[in-house]
Amino acid sequence: MTANNGASALAPVTDDRGQGSSARPVGGSRLPGPARSRPRWNGPATRRLAWSAAALVVGLVMLAPVLGFLLVAITPRTFGQGDAWFTLAPFRSALSGATLQSVLNTAITGVAAAVIATVIGTALALLLGRTKVAGAGLWRLGLWALLLAPSYLEALGWTRLVERDGVLAGLFGTDFHWLHQLVMGPAGVIWVLGSRGVPFAFLAVSGVVRGLGRDFEDAARVHGAGPWARLRITVGLLAPGLWAALAIVFAEAISDYGVAATLAAGSHFPIATFALAGAVTNFPADYPTAAALGWLLMVLVVLALLAQRMATRGRSYAVLSGRTRPVRPVPLRGWRSVLALAGLSLFFLLALGVPLLGTVSASLMGNFGTVNAHSFTLEAYQQVFQRSDLLAPVLLSVRLALITATVALIGGVLIARLLARRGGAARGKAVNVLDLLMLGAVALPAIVLGAGYIFTYNLPAVTGLGIQLYGTITLLVIGLLAGALPQASRLLMGSFSQVQDSLLAAARVHGAGTTRAWSTTMLPLLSGSLLWTWLLTFADRLLELPLASMLYPPGQQPLSVAVTTLINGYDFAAGTASLVVACVGILAVIGVALALFRLLAPAGWRRLEQR
Amino acid sequence: MWAGTRSRAMLALVAATVVGLGASACGSSSPATSSASPAPLVVYSAQGYDKAVVDAFQKATGIQVKLVDDSTGPLLAKVAAEKSAPQWSLLWADGAEAFASLDSQGQLLKGYEPNVAWTAAGQSAVPQDKSYVPTGLTMAGAILYDPAKTPNPPTSWQDLLSPAWQGKVGMPNPAISGPTYPFVAGMMNQLGGEDQGKAYFTQLKTHGLQVFNTNPDSLHALTTGAIQIDLAQSSAAFAAIVKNPNLKVAFLDKVSLLPGAIGIDAKAPAPVQDSAKKFAEFVLSPAGQQAMLAGNPNGDSLYWPPVNGVSPLPSLPQLSSVAYQTVDPYLWGPKESEINSWFTQNVVK
Repeated sequence: MTANNGASALAPVTDDRGQGSSARPVGGSRLPGPARSRPRWNGPATRRLAWSAAALVVGLVMLAPVLGFLLVAITPRTFGQGDAWFTLAPFRSALSGATLQSVLNTAITGVAAAVIATVIGTALALLLGRTKVAGAGLWRLGLWALLLAPSYLEALGWTRLVERDGVLAGLFGTDFHWLHQLVMGPAGVIWVLGSRGVPFAFLAVSGVVRGLGRDFEDAARVHGAGPWARLRITVGLLAPGLWAALAIVFAEAISDYGVAATLAAGSHFPIATFALAGAVTNFPADYPTAAALGWLLMVLVVLALLAQRMATRGRSYAVLSGRTRPVRPVPLRGWRSVLALAGLSLFFLLALGVPLLGTVSASLMGNFGTVNAHSFTLEAYQQVFQRSDLLAPVLLSVRLALITATVALIGGVLIARLLARRGGAARGKAVNVLDLLMLGAVALPAIVLGAGYIFTYNLPAVTGLGIQLYGTITLLVIGLLAGALPQASRLLMGSFSQVQDSLLAAARVHGAGTTRAWSTTMLPLLSGSLLWTWLLTFADRLLELPLASMLYPPGQQPLSVAVTTLINGYDFAAGTASLVVACVGILAVIGVALALFRLLAPAGWRRLEQR
Repeated sequence: MWAGTRSRAMLALVAATVVGLGASACGSSSPATSSASPAPLVVYSAQGYDKAVVDAFQKATGIQVKLVDDSTGPLLAKVAAEKSAPQWSLLWADGAEAFASLDSQGQLLKGYEPNVAWTAAGQSAVPQDKSYVPTGLTMAGAILYDPAKTPNPPTSWQDLLSPAWQGKVGMPNPAISGPTYPFVAGMMNQLGGEDQGKAYFTQLKTHGLQVFNTNPDSLHALTTGAIQIDLAQSSAAFAAIVKNPNLKVAFLDKVSLLPGAIGIDAKAPAPVQDSAKKFAEFVLSPAGQQAMLAGNPNGDSLYWPPVNGVSPLPSLPQLSSVAYQTVDPYLWGPKESEINSWFTQNVVK
């Protein structure tokens, strides 16, 4: 077996020399080599079992609730939501009047936000990945802080800033009516969603930037290319990261509820998620119409996915080979440095300074967020540390986030590997469906994903089969996982699509077993991405609210729900203060994890991570 | 070779998922019921004082209670999603309209009324078919204002349509803020019907009515001075005074009674329904009412007790000084979805 694979393994290594792998044939035909060779006698039964089991798990996690929710639009009676066994009426209701307008607004908003996020995210990735810009660590930390701040906080910050008699009016003594109109409308919505998407775009693109090395840039330089031509080549090679960024930001933007419920709700700019959540929280809840809107959001995701596929079809971006040389960051001097710092400062002021204002005005000011000297107090923060009833929710949420982040990382690795590789037509279709489901789970707002879990796992037909999941921590973990897997796999995909299989093959040729081959080739190259993905998932899941509020088992409140309870009990200050404390805690965990990585990881990993 | 790697990796994923989920499942306790002890309860509640009351109830009766606490909107969404197999034994929230709707759908146990001495107001909130039990009374449409900025508050609902209040009145959106629909329905009721009510809110809109998402948002607008009059649920208004004693509450003629109520799942097994009845009885007992009054003194505890012999918190005026009406929740409950959609499309914009 080893001899067989060893002989063919040499082929791609030789083929790829100096050409990336752009010479690879695309489509169904397989190259010889270990990556493609799957001897039939190599445990097909085990393989089938593994695939079936994996498909079952992924299906259970993803497919059932998404489908369950979508089916409500077509057959409401099955789920106790109406009289009709089969109907298309919910679609008529979703495709009429204000609701249709909200779907169109959502599409426009999503595209604009995705473009803004990708442009800024790419600029940041190039600046932080390929130049020695001052304060790089600080800017990276800023991106993480941005990732952690909930979107409604940024929306709240903007509202506080421009509202009548708001902070700006207090500072300058006059109402900026035009700014109010601008922020509380499409422009404000697009900016907030776009800036929220920047960290996602940054992570998707910077994985690719890290792996790019400097070979291609050097080659261009040798052939006389100027800085712009080199930039054009670099950006061209970033395509998988760019398209991954566009797709994920689009899906995130069209499913965002925080901004839809704040900035967009108060303006003449209805958005689909708000209409959808309105149908759910109205009484009695109109789940069939909400589900029809869910279908429309899924269609938007399919369109985004098709665009991504058409753009990257037939090309390979595997640029990371054994010969890739690490990039040497270029120092920035003179006007370039000033320009870069000005741009970074402006972005973080608008994206991070404003939500900070929202948090501060809500948590430090006892008096419903009004700014005056007497109301400035740290009392709320003292309360947070003295409240014993918050301890159990904190511990539960930490446990949930640890489990979810770890399982999502393992699942994300497998899915990213699957999505990044190409294969036969049947496999291609399976991958497409998987990709669609992944983004579908992102595109459906969490509250309806939660409702989908209830519909599916609370069906008498399902519980009759002995599947008693609803109302257990297990289902909450599955739900959190469903929300985390798409992000995790998409963030890892950029890095995976760059790693050439020849690296593994080379290791095998030299006699390494599977584990050793992975741990000596893949792991060092991917360790940075893996660590960041785990941290991101952990941070994101720790404070997840809509799913948790729909699925938490009676008597076992997660932190986000406990905080909401405080706010509902008119304890706004303590509620927001505990959010701030949680965010600081997450930043501390991230800091500790990164420090441990620096201390404990082998020197080679760190060198690769720093590239 | 690759396939081998992958299949092992897949098995690893499955194993990790199973182990992870198994480990987490170990943390969730399964309800153990024995036929001798009373059946445990699952209480879905949106009340700020629910945890205090549940603790006191468990102490007093030994009946195990699991609490799901959330705001009214998500809680009712969860109840609706569970319609094919309700997981709650008892629902506790503000607003008779929601209970009337649930009752019309056959989801509530009918014909149960605890044997208590109702006040007149409490009695008026008991539905004819006795499908839910009022536990506390608040008012929809209280006026909250700052006397320093607004020395002469409006004295009637028609006043709000005068130029003096142009652009100075605010309220939460009934489609988002659960307890605001009873205010809208109450106004429509006392103005003579849905059409007259819609005409009134349309006029308010042309006079610059500002609609906010939730109660905290409109309270914030009041304190910044963006509005001068906030139309709020009385408990929220009195809670605002606890935080800012400069504010004042006024009741126009008339406001609408907005009861908090308990409904019992019609499909729950008889022993669970028995435990739920004990819970309702406890809530209306002096001990239960004291727990309610002490549980969230800066918020939902600011209500009028529906039973004789219990006094409200001292910051509340005598109920007899408030001119209020009782709205038929069975007439207005079924209209909630339609009226909220109308409101969002015509008044919020």
